[in-house]
Amino acid sequence: MSQAPLPNVRLDFSLTPHDIRRRRTNQIMLRVIQAAAIVSVVPLFTILFVIFSKGLPQLSLSFLLNGPLEQPTGIVNAIQGSLVMTFIAIVAAAPIGIGGGIYLNEYASTRIARIGELFIDIMLGVPSILAGLFAYFALVPILGHSGWTGSIALTVLMVPVVMRTTQEVLRLVPAGLREASLALGVPRWKTTIFVTCRTALSGIMTGVILAISRGLGETAPLLLTSQTSNDVSINLGQPMNAMTVVIYQNATRSDPQIVATAWTTALILFVIALILNVSVRFKTVNNRVF
Amino acid sequence: MPEAPSFRRSRLSGELPFRVLTLGSVLLAAALLFALVVVIFEKSLILWPVEAPLTFLTSSGWFGSTDPSGAITAAFGALPMIWGTLVTSLIGIAVAAPIGIFAAIYLVELAPKRLAAPLTFLVEIVAAIPSVVIGLWALGELSPRLRDSIEWWVASTLGQFIPWLSEDPQQPSDTSVFRSGIVLAIMITPMVAAVSREVIRSVPQSLREGLVGMGATKWETIRLVILPTARVGLLGAVLLAFGRAIGETIAVRLTIGMNISEIPPTLFQPGSSIAAQIAGAFGEASPIEKGALAGLGLSLFILTLTLSLIVRLLMWRSANRMGSRA
Repeated sequence: MSQAPLPNVRLDFSLTPHDIRRRRTNQIMLRVIQAAAIVSVVPLFTILFVIFSKGLPQLSLSFLLNGPLEQPTGIVNAIQGSLVMTFIAIVAAAPIGIGGGIYLNEYASTRIARIGELFIDIMLGVPSILAGLFAYFALVPILGHSGWTGSIALTVLMVPVVMRTTQEVLRLVPAGLREASLALGVPRWKTTIFVTCRTALSGIMTGVILAISRGLGETAPLLLTSQTSNDVSINLGQPMNAMTVVIYQNATRSDPQIVATAWTTALILFVIALILNVSVRFKTVNNRVF
Repeated sequence: MPEAPSFRRSRLSGELPFRVLTLGSVLLAAALLFALVVVIFEKSLILWPVEAPLTFLTSSGWFGSTDPSGAITAAFGALPMIWGTLVTSLIGIAVAAPIGIFAAIYLVELAPKRLAAPLTFLVEIVAAIPSVVIGLWALGELSPRLRDSIEWWVASTLGQFIPWLSEDPQQPSDTSVFRSGIVLAIMITPMVAAVSREVIRSVPQSLREGLVGMGATKWETIRLVILPTARVGLLGAVLLAFGRAIGETIAVRLTIGMNISEIPPTLFQPGSSIAAQIAGAFGEASPIEKGALAGLGLSLFILTLTLSLIVRLLMWRSANRMGSRA
């Protein structure tokens, strides 16, 4: 009995040309994907390198502690201005954002929560220049070009960041925790504050830090509102300088000495942004602003 | 007075104030947003008698003055700025979308565990660099290099045949629309990557296993399962980044130049964008020009509002799809 051939069934497992092509495509595409990942972090290293090489030589204690009109010149007024305006802004934005996030997640009906979500999206998407335009038109007639106006412009930009993060982290708190607390007879508002929010505290702080980081990095709204000043003062009633504004204004000047101060200021700002983001990174809750 | 009821009352006495306070926060935030829109709209009203909304959006030219007698001579056209905003953002997204999505795929699917976390962190750091710092770097370092490399090369090859890619080799300009687009690409790539990463991570593991079980290669799994499943979410990521690019002010302002009178004939010449124009011209603007800048701001708001709405709809749809499959 002769063995019948098995048509169409391939018994040898060596690679056909088709398989070889598939393998090669696979190899190439994986390399392309890898390259894309590398390309996306290359700018970071380039920027880092340039900022340090151009900014570090001028960095000194007097640069940090002197005013712009002193010799040697410094940016203490810009550092103060950035910190003070961001501080006022976050003091206003954090309660609004956290309170709003709590309401949307703990009390609102599904429909209201969805509308709230949509509205946070819209507010997050508002370009920062529009916050500046708004603060200019609404507040400069009353408060003038001042630190207060700048702070309020920043508040508008910070509120949705805090609110979004708060809402997202509260959603991650297991319902069982709330139920256990309620079952013990703890009223809802106390449960929310002492159980739900305490559980999510590190996540809520993440939102606050992200908002601070956004406030420190904003330029456009401050250009229109707090403008700029050479005074070393923390009087919020007057125009105030900010680090970002110093960088922006010095960047386009022709005097290389002045451009150099822009780089040093950029170095300081970058380090602050880095510290804030590293501190966020090591929080337990992994959430994105989205 | 019996003790129990008063005890209950005291325990519950915080409930109402707490609700009112939290609801108040939501309403206050909403009021801020509404006030923003209303104020900018109100300030743009001064413009419309001079320049009808449709002409404003579709014409070029940026000029306005008020006589001592109070008569206003003005011609404001937003077209070059709208063009500049869209073209720079499109260049940005055309570069950032593939790189960002591929980087996200690498982070989720391919990177060794030990590499994935630090790499994700680095990508997020890029997103955290203040835009003015990127602008400073772009102005001082990137822009001249792009001009002397890619721009020069494209202009001297493709530019020979395609008019809008040409450049005067004797006088390359310091600023250009193309360079702003590349700067935007660098700024939004990490955003595309970060959001795409979340989307790709939520693709159910069983789908990957199914394809690998049938002998598919890694790339085939990515192409046939991951990308199609994550399609809607990835589109959302790209649109979100597009919205960010449209609103970006300072980095664009520093690299695009200040050409507000016309749409530049080639990509390698200076232009302007809505946000850059508002930031750049506001300081010395006359009242009527401030009205025109408010009009620009309003059109910018409408653009980003539309994008936000589309993204949210997509995300809801994508969440439903993923939910039903998982």
